[in-house]
Formats: sequence, C-alpha cells, structure tokens
Amino acid sequence: MLLEIKNLKVKYGNIEALHGISFTVDQGEIVTLIGANGAGKTTTLNTITRVPPPEGPKVWEGDILYKGQSILSMEPHEVVQKLKIALAPEGRHIFGNLSVEENLKLATYARTDEAKIQEDYKLVYRLFPRLYERRKQRSESLSGGEQQMLAVGRAIMTGANFLLLDEPSMGLAPLLMYEMFKALKELNQKEGMTILLIEQNAKLALEFAHRGYVLDTGEIVLSGSSQELLNSPEVKKAYLGG
Amino acid sequence: MLESIIQNIFNALQWGSYYSLIALGYCLVYGVLLLINFAHGDIFMVGAYIAFFVSTLFLGHYHFFPYALSKPVVLALTIPITMFLTSCVGVFIERVAYRPLRRKGANRLYVVITALMAGLILENGNLALLGASRKKFPELLDKVVYHFGNITLTNIKIIVILSAFLVFWLLHFIVTRTKIGMAMRAISYDRFAVPLMGIPVDTIIVFTFVLGSSMAAIAGILFAMSYPILDPYMGAMVGWKAFIAAVVGGIGDIRGAFVGGFLLGFIEILVVAFFPSTFRDLIAFTILLIILSFKPTGIFGVAKTTKI
Repeated sequence: MLLEIKNLKVKYGNIEALHGISFTVDQGEIVTLIGANGAGKTTTLNTITRVPPPEGPKVWEGDILYKGQSILSMEPHEVVQKLKIALAPEGRHIFGNLSVEENLKLATYARTDEAKIQEDYKLVYRLFPRLYERRKQRSESLSGGEQQMLAVGRAIMTGANFLLLDEPSMGLAPLLMYEMFKALKELNQKEGMTILLIEQNAKLALEFAHRGYVLDTGEIVLSGSSQELLNSPEVKKAYLGG
Repeated sequence: MLESIIQNIFNALQWGSYYSLIALGYCLVYGVLLLINFAHGDIFMVGAYIAFFVSTLFLGHYHFFPYALSKPVVLALTIPITMFLTSCVGVFIERVAYRPLRRKGANRLYVVITALMAGLILENGNLALLGASRKKFPELLDKVVYHFGNITLTNIKIIVILSAFLVFWLLHFIVTRTKIGMAMRAISYDRFAVPLMGIPVDTIIVFTFVLGSSMAAIAGILFAMSYPILDPYMGAMVGWKAFIAAVVGGIGDIRGAFVGGFLLGFIEILVVAFFPSTFRDLIAFTILLIILSFKPTGIFGVAKTTKI
C-alpha cells in the first residue's frame, strides 16, 4: 500500500473537520475523493501535505502511513523532497510575480538529478504546450485555465511520483478541462504517476479515476470502483443530478 | 557653480549609499515576512561596533592578541568577519524574537512591536555593556584627497559609492537569477505554496536575514570609515531614514529601496545647499511625504492584484 489514511481525525482550532476517515491509494492508481463543498476534501489533502497550522489542520487522532511509515512528524517540504508527493493546491497558488519558466524552475529547488529535470521540463511542455508558448510571461497574466496547468506542471517539476490534485477543473472552460484531464490520463498511463484527485464535478472525476470515495461532512459514506459509484443510486441522487 | 553642483552630487551619492544599503535590508525582510524589521537600523550600529572590535583586535590593541597587522590586511579581514558576525546577530534576533511569534501565528502588529523592542534592546544592551562613551573607529585606509578644480573627493567617498553599487548589483543578481532568490520573491507573493515546492521556508528566511544583516554590516563599516565616531544610538536616526527611503522607493522592490536611498541622499544635500542645515530633515521629509501622497505604493511599487 502506497498511502494509507487510518481513522484520521483533524481539527481547525476546536472544530473537528474530519471525523475519522480511512482510505488507501495504491501505486499507479487514480483515486478520487468526491463530495460537496465543505465535506473535508481540501482538509484531507492539506493534512497529507502537512501544511502547518494556522492554515493547516491539526491531527489529533489516527495516522497517515506512506509505505507503512507514519509521516505525521514530517515538515511540508520533506513530504515533497523525501516522499515525492506533490500537491497542486486549491486556488492554484502560482507565484504570479514570477514567469512561467521561473515557477517551474523553482519547483526543482531541492532536486539535483539534472538529467531527469530536463526530461521533466520536456514532459510538462509536451503535456501543456500553452505553458511553453507563454514561458517568458509573468504567470499572473495567464488565464485561469493556464494557471491551473502551471500549478499541475509545477507539481510535476518537483520530481513527484504521486500527485494530489485539488479541483483541477475549477474555473476551466470545457475545452481546457478536456486538455487537462487528457494530460493527467497520460501522466498516469505513460509515466506511472499515482494520482489522488479531489473534485466537485463527480461525474468527471469518476469517469477519470479507477476508484473513488464519497466524503460527506467529514466522513466517508461510500466507496468502490468508479463504475460502482457511477451506478450507485445514492451517488446519482446526491452528486450526479438524478 | 557647476563645481559646487558636482561636489554636492558626490556628497549626495555618498549619503545615499548608506541609506540604500540599509534600505535594502528593510526591503528584503519585508518582502519575505511582510515584517518591518525596526531592529534593522540597530543592526547597522551593531555592524559598526563589531567592525570596531574586529579591527582594533587585529591592530593589536588588546593584550591577548599582541600582533599588529598592517592596515590593508586588517581591512581585508574586518569586512568578511564583520559581515559574518553581524549576520549571526540578525539571524539570532529572527530565531529568538520573530520565529516563535510566527509559529504561534501572531498578528503582524505584535511582530512589529517585537522588532522595535529588539532594536531598543540592542541600543541599550550596547549602552549597558560598553558605557556611554563614544568609540573612535581606527583609520584603516590612509585618506587620499583628490582635487579637481574646487571639487574635492576622498578615496573613501569613492569606495563608499562604488561599494553600494557593487552590492546592489550582486543582490540583484541573487534575487533575479538564483533559485534561492526566486524562492524569496515567491514567498513574498504566496507564502502558502512555497513549502509545496519542497522548499524549507525557514532556510529562506534565515538566508534573507543573512543578506540584510551583511549589507547593514557593510554600511556600518563604510560609515565608520567616513565618520569614525561610534555611539549606541547612531543606528536609530539613520535606520529610520533608510526605512522611510525604502517606503518611498516602494518597499516590495529592491530597485525601489536602492533608488529611494539615493533620492533621500539627494534631497537632503539639496536642502542643505539652499537652507540652514537645521532645516534639512524637516524639508526632506516634507518632500517625501508629498511624493507618498501622490504615489502611496512608492516609486517602484505596484498595487498587488490577485486573479480569481
């Protein structure tokens, strides 16, 4: 098991945001967490990447295991450097005052594998040709969709083999959304990238992922293969609009 | 007339150099932590004092080191050692005063108050340890005076101005071309995402304090070489002025801080050329106030926009 979340309970201040969730992600899988706004999806990802309080949640019960080892004592930059887990966060959080190229370069900060870095640049520019066209541009001048591509590209450039994606479809026009998910599919199939995807667009997420979990107000209420979830009456009723 | 103008330009460049070197330190720390490090003027003072002790040590003024080295060697040793020790002081303040507050998520107001207190502690710590008597900074460079008509230039003045430009050029290179400089700019834009790139934020913060404090140390050495009387409060006024210069230049941008420092130097010298010197600060700050009221973000500052 690559990543195992065990009975995780977290708090923001005194408010419990996750009430003991458990799920697993295996090597090479695409797993999705779906659920409504405020269900705890972003909280889950921020907990895995060890974002510290006050922005980040505080774990008070349960554990997060990576290849069987607890990662709760790790610093956020160590999660990226040592575990090769990278997050493309909600709201993109690109560095708008840097150029596209500089954003990507900064993500290689802790890396020394020069040859692989060059390959990764090629990979990112192949997956997202728009980023190559705009590589000299200040990234705050990019459109929302292009910024999202940059956020994902940046996560790849950290040298990660496990991506956590927080609503990569948010604010994207349908065509860009299609490009984005095509690129993600290719990353998974050709590069063996493990992906944990969070989406409000449940249909899109389930068509893309192998397996899924349904999160509702801090609890996992349903899980199964994507097909099972797509056919489940509860999911249909609550998330797929009938 | 022309000669007096040129003379004044050099004087302005010299004072502008001190202000710029200190303003750059305010600017760097502000860029990374959004903290106005009010202790920074006193770091400049500490730099001058450290330079004093290091240079007198190597000149053989103390019994436990009875070897007098030659002046050029002493100067060559004083600069890097002072930069290193002053950086240690800057980083120490960040570790014991600012970092604990940051960890607790304290409001920025409290951090600024802490910075003010840290500055006062440096001033009064110096007063308590070394007494109220002033120190005479030793002459590390034989003064050479050049005459061009009625213009007089000293070698020290030229060194001060050239050093300021050289330091700025180096800093600009670090900030725009290196990964650690990129990380500094990235933190100022989006603090949250920096660790997600595998970058240890605390390392970047420490590096920022090292850069800022070493520049204050250089300013301290250069200042002491030109005006060789040191007292515990020497950093207070110069520090405030450099801070204001950084704000007028646009505090988020190192070009702004650099230009702001020289702008203040020029305004001060210009005022003194036409008015009694007691009017200097009054008129200089009035002019800066007017500039700010027209451009509140400073000369190089831009209002930050976020895309939704």
